[in-house]
Amino acid sequence: MLQISNLYKSYGKFQAVNNLTLHIPKGDLFGFVGPNGAGKTTTIRMVCGLMLPNSGHIAINGIDALARQKEIKRQIGYVPDFFGVYDNLKVREYMDFYGSMYRMDSREIQRISDDLLDLVNLSDKKEAFVDTLSRGMKQRLCVARALIHNPALLVLDEPNSGLDPRARVEMKELLQNLRSMGKTIVISSHILSELSEMCNSIGIMNHGSLVEAGRIEDVLEGVLGSNQLVITLDEGRETALRIVSEYVGVELDSAGEHEIRLTHNMTKPQIARMVGEMIAGGVVVTGFHKQEGDLETLFMRVTGDGQ
Amino acid sequence: MYLNPIVKKDIKVQSRSMRICWGIFAYELILALVFFLAMSIIQGNSRYSSGNIYSAMVWLYPVLAVTQLIILGLVVPVKTASSISGEKERQTFDIMMTTGMSPFSVIMGKVMTAIVQGMFFVAASMPVMALTFIIGGMSWAYLFWFLGIALLVSLFSASIGILCSSLCKRSISAVIMSYVFYLAFFLGTTVLPIVAGGVAANMRFMLGSVPKAFAMFGDNILLFLMLNPAVYLIEYFAWVMAGESLVSNMSLFSTQGVQVRGPVNLLTTGFWWLICSTVLFVGISFLFLWLASKRIDPIRGYSSSSRRQGRKGR
Repeated sequence: MLQISNLYKSYGKFQAVNNLTLHIPKGDLFGFVGPNGAGKTTTIRMVCGLMLPNSGHIAINGIDALARQKEIKRQIGYVPDFFGVYDNLKVREYMDFYGSMYRMDSREIQRISDDLLDLVNLSDKKEAFVDTLSRGMKQRLCVARALIHNPALLVLDEPNSGLDPRARVEMKELLQNLRSMGKTIVISSHILSELSEMCNSIGIMNHGSLVEAGRIEDVLEGVLGSNQLVITLDEGRETALRIVSEYVGVELDSAGEHEIRLTHNMTKPQIARMVGEMIAGGVVVTGFHKQEGDLETLFMRVTGDGQ
Repeated sequence: MYLNPIVKKDIKVQSRSMRICWGIFAYELILALVFFLAMSIIQGNSRYSSGNIYSAMVWLYPVLAVTQLIILGLVVPVKTASSISGEKERQTFDIMMTTGMSPFSVIMGKVMTAIVQGMFFVAASMPVMALTFIIGGMSWAYLFWFLGIALLVSLFSASIGILCSSLCKRSISAVIMSYVFYLAFFLGTTVLPIVAGGVAANMRFMLGSVPKAFAMFGDNILLFLMLNPAVYLIEYFAWVMAGESLVSNMSLFSTQGVQVRGPVNLLTTGFWWLICSTVLFVGISFLFLWLASKRIDPIRGYSSSSRRQGRKGR
């Protein structure tokens, strides 16, 4: 669906996007994450034809996004991080305005906008003025507006920023609905817990480069590994640490007063023997479990300086 | 019929605002004041002359028309100067540029909105203007001429405003820039022929004759006045009211003993000056609109050859 190859963009001496290559398959809900200034918004703006790259290639459904802008505009629906509204314009008229910008006829606009307003739970607000809607409603309206021409790719830049928890949940449900309808969605966000719940693939940007990309499970396993163990204990911390250090292929991640985190390549019997040794050595082990990787840990790991 | 969606939306949004009502009220008020002022002057003059007051009322036409054209020339650039920068300030511009509309359509939509609004004002002034035709004895054809000129003034002013709007991020800067641009355009086309005439007169005084290299331009330097909005209006009203051409009576070089040949001799005869000037103003307006559309095009740096390569790659 979206193919980005060797994309570069700089602002003066600052390299905002550096040799970005990315492929997002059709039907994916792709989360674009990265710290502030990582180059996410710049990339999104280039994909949407709002900015010209210094070099590189962007293709949507095989169509060159820069050379054939007119066709590409029909393929993309864009929701910016913040959007203004026109005073004195009703929700119905707002949809009508953007529909007619794609040269759709009024009957078609009315039919599609009715469906879309229903989808975003704004059917009862058709006659309301846009500037009277809450921020969450405006954001959902903006998504409906971005879908008026039935684009194949929906691009959302920080859609949840400034929304209350309820509006965030509604937005998440809406995006999942859209994905189930077969839309390809690219969403940039700082709220990693939400991304991990709704996206099936992610790309992590840092300093203008894509440091990790792929299915969430694959990326988590690739970076964090699947062999993380958390041992909780009440007493005998020093003894536990000594036993851990005696095992080959075990790397201590952190050692708190009552919790030890380690990455290992041991078999299950070896783990059981190590824990047994701790108990026999007088360590009061209150529990141990395999640590599942989460997006926050992954994000901190791949974007941390010097790591 | 396809109506530019920006025109439709902007007119609808602005019609719901009280601002347009107050604008028309102020416009009518100014016209009424000018009308009564002109009437009192005409009445005052008629006391001391044997002329008919009704024939003097013909002069209400240029007075009211010029008043309206000045107001249009001042108001329309403000409307367009705040259009593109206003969209940027409102943060609706990016969304607009990702829709199916081309940058030129966006520009045309904004310009058309400003022109339509200008025409609202002109239409609202019709009852006052009609008085000059009913009691002043003016031909109704001049009313349509006036509408045409109002349209031209609106287009030219709108194109200056929109060009400045595309160059500035903030509306207030765009408005100021529009007026400065307008003034520079007016002064530039006025000063150049005056300076040329002054230099020719000085040369004649000091050298006894104007050098050939300089004189070859002759009175053709007056053609710059074709781009002067004030000269355009003066020429129009001179033609309507007296059937004369002001420019044909102007001379810079011929009085300095230089034989003038060239287009100026042809263009200052009769109606051609106005025709050529109109064509130039329309042409410059569309040049400004094109420049503005290039300016707002987010991928304007992408060369046409690259686009052609992209098409071949289908």
